[in-house]
This record gives sequence, C-alpha cells and structure tokens, in this order.
Amino acid sequence: MIIAPLLLVLAGAIVGAVVVGYIFSRAAHRGLLGAVIGAGAGALGSLIFMVPLDYCTFEAERKTIDAIFGGVLVGLGVLLVVAPVAWLGWKLLRRESLISATAQPTQGTFRHWWIALPFLAPTLTILLVFLYYPSLETLRLSTMLSRLGARREAFVCVDNYTRLVEGSAYLDVVARTVYMSFFIVVLSMAIGLLIATMAYLPVKGASIYRTLLVWPYAISPAVAGIIFLLMFNPTGGIINYLLYDWFGVRPGWLNDPNLAPWTIIISSVWKSIGFNILFYIAALQNVPVDLIEAGAIDGAGLLRRFWHIVWPLLSPTTFFLLITNLTYAFFDTFATIDYLTPGGGPLQSTTTMMYQVIRVGVNNNDLGKAAAQSVVLFLMVIGITIMSFRTGGRQVTYGA
Amino acid sequence: MKRLVFLAVMLALVVTLAVPMGATKAQDPVPIDVWIAFSDYRLDWTKEVAEEFNALFPEYQVNIVGGMSYEEMFAQVSVAAEQNALPGVIHFNEASTQDARDSGNFKPIAALLGDRTEVNGLPVGFDDIIEPTTAYYTLDGNWTSFPWNTSSAIWFSNMNFLNAAGFDTPPTTWAEVDEYCAAIMALEDAPQYCWTFPNYGWFFEQWLAQQDALFVNNDNGRSDRATEVAFNSDAGVAIFNWWDDQYDKGYLYYSGAQGGDSWGTIDQAYQTQSVAMAAYSSSDTTLYTNMGLENGFTTVASFLPYNQETGWTGNLIGGGSLWLVDGLAPEVEEGALAFMVYLSQPENDMAWHKLTGYIAIRESSNQMLEEEGWFEEWPNQTVAMQQLAQSTVTPATSGALVGGFPAIRNAVTGATDRLLLTDEDPAALLDQAASEANVIIEEYNLLSAP
Repeated sequence: MIIAPLLLVLAGAIVGAVVVGYIFSRAAHRGLLGAVIGAGAGALGSLIFMVPLDYCTFEAERKTIDAIFGGVLVGLGVLLVVAPVAWLGWKLLRRESLISATAQPTQGTFRHWWIALPFLAPTLTILLVFLYYPSLETLRLSTMLSRLGARREAFVCVDNYTRLVEGSAYLDVVARTVYMSFFIVVLSMAIGLLIATMAYLPVKGASIYRTLLVWPYAISPAVAGIIFLLMFNPTGGIINYLLYDWFGVRPGWLNDPNLAPWTIIISSVWKSIGFNILFYIAALQNVPVDLIEAGAIDGAGLLRRFWHIVWPLLSPTTFFLLITNLTYAFFDTFATIDYLTPGGGPLQSTTTMMYQVIRVGVNNNDLGKAAAQSVVLFLMVIGITIMSFRTGGRQVTYGA
Repeated sequence: MKRLVFLAVMLALVVTLAVPMGATKAQDPVPIDVWIAFSDYRLDWTKEVAEEFNALFPEYQVNIVGGMSYEEMFAQVSVAAEQNALPGVIHFNEASTQDARDSGNFKPIAALLGDRTEVNGLPVGFDDIIEPTTAYYTLDGNWTSFPWNTSSAIWFSNMNFLNAAGFDTPPTTWAEVDEYCAAIMALEDAPQYCWTFPNYGWFFEQWLAQQDALFVNNDNGRSDRATEVAFNSDAGVAIFNWWDDQYDKGYLYYSGAQGGDSWGTIDQAYQTQSVAMAAYSSSDTTLYTNMGLENGFTTVASFLPYNQETGWTGNLIGGGSLWLVDGLAPEVEEGALAFMVYLSQPENDMAWHKLTGYIAIRESSNQMLEEEGWFEEWPNQTVAMQQLAQSTVTPATSGALVGGFPAIRNAVTGATDRLLLTDEDPAALLDQAASEANVIIEEYNLLSAP
C-alpha cells in the first residue's frame, strides 16, 4: 500500500501548484514560482492529517466510508496549508500590508517586534496550556479507543467519527440541537427585546422592575433546574396540579418525548432572558431621543419608528446577543437538561450534542467517542460563528 | 503610598502562609481524605462520625469530601489518579467494583490487614458481616474493599389505596401487582398511576436475579472475567413484556428520568400519592416510612414482587463500599483503615441503618436491633434484611461483576425508555441493548483487563 500515500502527496502537490500558481500569476505574473511553492504547500498539507493517522483510512480492510473520510481529511489538510500560503503570497506580491487598514496601529509601536513577546507571554502560556494543548489532545483522543481510568489505549483510526454517521442516532442529536437552539435563541431574544422595550418606558419604580427582570440570570443553572423540576413534574408538580384543576389535563412535561424539548426550551429561555433584557435596556438608552422625536414629527407611528430607527440602531447589540445566545444554547444548557430530564429525556428527546458528549464521556467513561463528538461540536460552532459574521455582520449598523 | 500598601498586604500574606508551614510539628494529626458519593443527610452523618473519630483518635484527622454522585465520583477518581492526587479512601457503588479492581489504584483491604483482628484497638470482625455483602465484595474469600452501605430493592405500598381496594397485604407476584392495580385504578379516588420504579438498571438486574437468570456470562463474571452479557434471555424478555404490559394498561408511571438521577422523581410521585406502590431501594426505607406518617398514609415495605412463572430465588444487594488507595504513606493507610473499621462498628452501623434504611451489615448489629425491639416497632426496616437472608445464594443472586458496568446499565436504561414509549418489540430492544453492552465489555476488556 505504499502507492496510496505517494499518490495523495502528488494530488496535494498538483492542487497546491494549480491554485497558488494561478494566484501568483494573477498577482504579479510569477506563475512558475507560485506553482513550485504551491506544490510544496499542497504536498505538506496532504501530510498533516495523514502522517499522524499513518494513512490508516486507506488500508485495504477498511470500509469505503473510511476512505471517503480520509479523502476529506487530505483535502482539508491541503486547504489548511495552501490557503494561507496563497493569501500571504497575494499580499506580499502586491506589496499590500498584512494587517487590515482599520487594525493599523495609530499610536506608539515597539521598536523591535520581539519586545512584544514578553508582554504576550502570560496570555500565550495560558492559551497554550489550557486551550491549544487540550484541543490537540482531544484530536488525538478522537482516534483512540480510550476509557476513563483504563490502563491502555488502542488506535482505531477514524472509527469514532465514521460510527457517528452510520445509523441515524447521531444525526438526530444534531438535528435536535439545531432545532432546540434555534427556538431558545429566537424566543429568548424576541421576548427579551419586548420586555426591555416595556421596562425602558418611563414608569414609576422602573429600576425595581429592571432589577427583578434581570434576576433569573443571576440564579445558578442547577438551582433553576431544580425549581423547574419541582414545577414541571408530571406527578405532584404545581403546573400540572393547576392545569388539572382548571382544564382537567396533565401534560407530560418531562416524560412526553414531544413536550420534553419544549420544557427545556421554556426553562432555558427563562434562564437567559435576563441577560438579553439587560443588554437591550442598555442599548435602548443609547438610542438618540432626537431621532425618535424627528420621526414622530414626520408622522411615523410607533411601529414604524421602532422598525426604521430603533431596530437598526440596536443591531450591534442584537448581533452580539445572537452570538452569546447561540453559545449559551449550545454549551450552557447542560445543567438545565440534566436536572429536568436526567439521562437525556424520554426517547433521548432532549439530548443535545453537548449533553451527548458528557453522557458518553463521563457517564459511559468512553473518552475516545466523546472526543470525536466534541470535535464535531467544535467544528459546528466555528461554522455557525463564521456564518453569522458573514451574514449578520454586514447588516449591523455601528453608531448613529 | 499605594505601592506601600500593596507591599504591606503581600508581606502579610506571605507571613500568614509561611507560619503554619513552619510550625508543623511531629505530633500534628495525619490528614486522611475520604471522598463520599453522597450529598444529602447521609453526607452530614458521615461527617459527624468522622468528627467523633478525630476526637477519639487525635493522631488522625479524617476529612470527608462529598457532593458527587457515584458516576461523577468515578470520573473524578480517574482524573485524580492521572495526577497522583487521589485521597486516602474512596466510596464507589457496587457496579464500579470490577472497574475499581482492574484500575490498579486500590490496595485490597485483606492485603493491608493481614491476619490482624483489630486496628487501633477496634475489632475488625469480618466474620460478623452479613453473607450477601461478604459474597459481593470478597474475591476468593479476601476483602478487596471495605463494606459499608448495603441495600436491596424492595416494594413500598401506600396502604390507604390498598385497603380501599380491599387488600390487607402488599402484592407478592407480578400477577398480583396486576390484580391489585386493576382494583386500585377502578377506585373512585384512584391515584394517577398504580405503581412505578426508577428507570435505573439495577431494577432490571433485581428482577433478573429473582428468576435465577444471569446478567453476564461466566457465572455473572465470578468464575472468570465476563466477556458478554446474558440478560437478553427468556427471563429478561419476561421482565420487558411485563413492564410493557403494565405501562400500556396505564398502571406503570414512567417519569422520563433515566439513570442515577431518576430516584428523586419516584420520591415525588410516591410522596404526593400519585402512585399507590413503588419499587425502590431499601436505602430510603426510613424516608418512605416517614413520607407516609407525614402525609397521612401508612407505608408498608415488602419483598420485591416476583415472576410467578419462574418463582423466586433471591435478590441482589446494592449500595457501595469503601476503597483504600494504593501507595499511601503507612500512617495514612493505618488511619484510613481505622476509620473504615470505626464506621462499621455496631453503634455506627445501627445508627446508619436507623437514619436511612440501609441494611445493618453486622450480624451483631441486627441482633441488637432485634433485642431492643427496633424491628418490632418499625417492621419496614427489616424487610430488606429478610429478603437477602431468605435468598438462595447462586451466581445470579450474587450479582454481576463486569467491567464498564455503569455504561452497561445505561444501555439497559435506554432500552427500557424505548420499550415504554414506543411500540418496538421487547425482545428486539433487549437484543439491541445486549449488543451495545457487548461492545462496551469487549472494549473494556481490551483496554482495562490487567
């Protein structure tokens, strides 16, 4: 099987040569130089995932899906090396600055570039030890059969990943995460804005209302979980006690697979809404009154003024809240889910990707599979963040 | 000025930190950290006992750390082991026994004890420990961990409902449960459901053992290391069919909670009289008896009902034991052992039983409880003990020893969830859980077997 690695390196080199060569010739008619550099970069790129994996995905006894996955990894590796090289080459050849115009330093700079290093050292050390090293370790673990407290580990190639796409169980978890996160974010922000708009009105004791409204955010997720557990409990919970008394129904808030995700959504919205209210009130206070008054004089109604003046001015806050709420929905709902529906809900209906990682890694002690899932989760969050910066970021109006 | 204040504060900090270190004397007590997998009144009680121990033996300072569940404890210990930060004693549940033995982190109690019969003047008295506990925690007759909280699964009945439906005694078989439920649910002020149990793998294991059926192969992992599960047998399918039938009839309440955190949902259902009967651990016999007293009904505890088709062989123990960390300094080891022995002394054993309902693990304690009329006054408290005493000891009723047991339990719990909430075939679901569990065992044995 020596032929496959060589072929892959060659393929990577060709792709790199073509891409970088094209960029270089467009930038400064230095196509040949570009092709040479690109070939090197592409060859290197094809190696960065495959050398640690030892080309295991292309072994004869592996399944087709493993080979496909291996191909994707080679492509990704090539992209990871070739893209920066191409970008760097483009900038250098066109003698453009590597730093964007807005980020140019306007005040004092260091005489020597290395003087900055000691000042950055504490931060870099912390990042290296607590962020980059664990991330690399997670990547390594995700190719292992590894159990918490076990004596040994065994290399399993990309099995931990490919078994995620075999069968629909994990895809269901992904779909459920997206759907629950969507409703948590949208409802929490919409209701938060509505309440903030009302709490912002100049009424008596406004500061008391505002304080009380922010309160839920200060309650720890565990305490909130227990409060909701007692309230939503299908037997003996206050909500069903009242519903049965008034309407003769007892919805299975926690044991009906269709309803349980909504119980989590409601609780999470309640939990995060204070945060949104806080930021929206602050943002509303920054909306210039003269603009609104001008709109009113020109005959714009309440809704029109809100839609055309207030809402655009709130967009930086909305965008910030969108990112923080998404992060909350993805990562911080664990305690709420675990207290309300321990084990991940009836028919796993409240199991989000984050919850699944903990279930597999901590409850089942299966580190390798949990690591693979957390890599997937990590990629998804990166993807969502990039996507929201590219789409949402453009419509944000900073400043009046 | 600011700099001066800062310097002064720093100096003060350094001095306060340095003084105790410098002042360490030879006769300072030996610190012994003990991690306990409780977070409620049971943790408070353990802390009280530790204080008594410290007062009695000033050369030791036992620190109890709690607040973790059994599952969290296991993860915590694995991480601490990698960092060489293990405490002196660790509390694991019975399902972690094989994992703990394989981990190499613990020293068998028998190895430290040797042929001593007392530690620090406290009698060890291992021959006084009740048979089922001895059977579970010894390997070839040698104690690997120190026995502590021992329970069994029993049945609690709200006699107000049973009496109203015309029954004087709790049901003893599955068929009787069905018959009782038909009558109870037909009552005018019937409860919301007839009965319930926590969706925790232990209950499936209990009902399996009753039918003398194995959970894993190789005599439940006792004649040789378990290599695959055996629970998808006729006995296992019988349990699933029974649960399915009870749920479909609207008798069985399923709270949706799964695993080690499902217990609380059953408490709430029973306390609010939303169910008439519950299968539960004897660990909370005192609580369940008091729930009745405080809410105006009588709780009667009884043996866990059995499958009338296959008869009753016996039930399993549950609970946990205390593990001594390997590689401790000799004086820490001795102190840790002394504390464990102290915890099991009859006075503490009896107080523990009265507080919770966990079985008193000494024959002598049970005898004293009998003599002081405790069991006569509180008949519920003796049920678990009787159930275990009347059990025939077979590989099935001794309980399973298998690696990755907590994860296997989660596979069974997941299958139970699907069983109750979908129309899938019970036998197929059980087979599916079995193949999931077999992967866990295979991977576990590959990685963890010494």
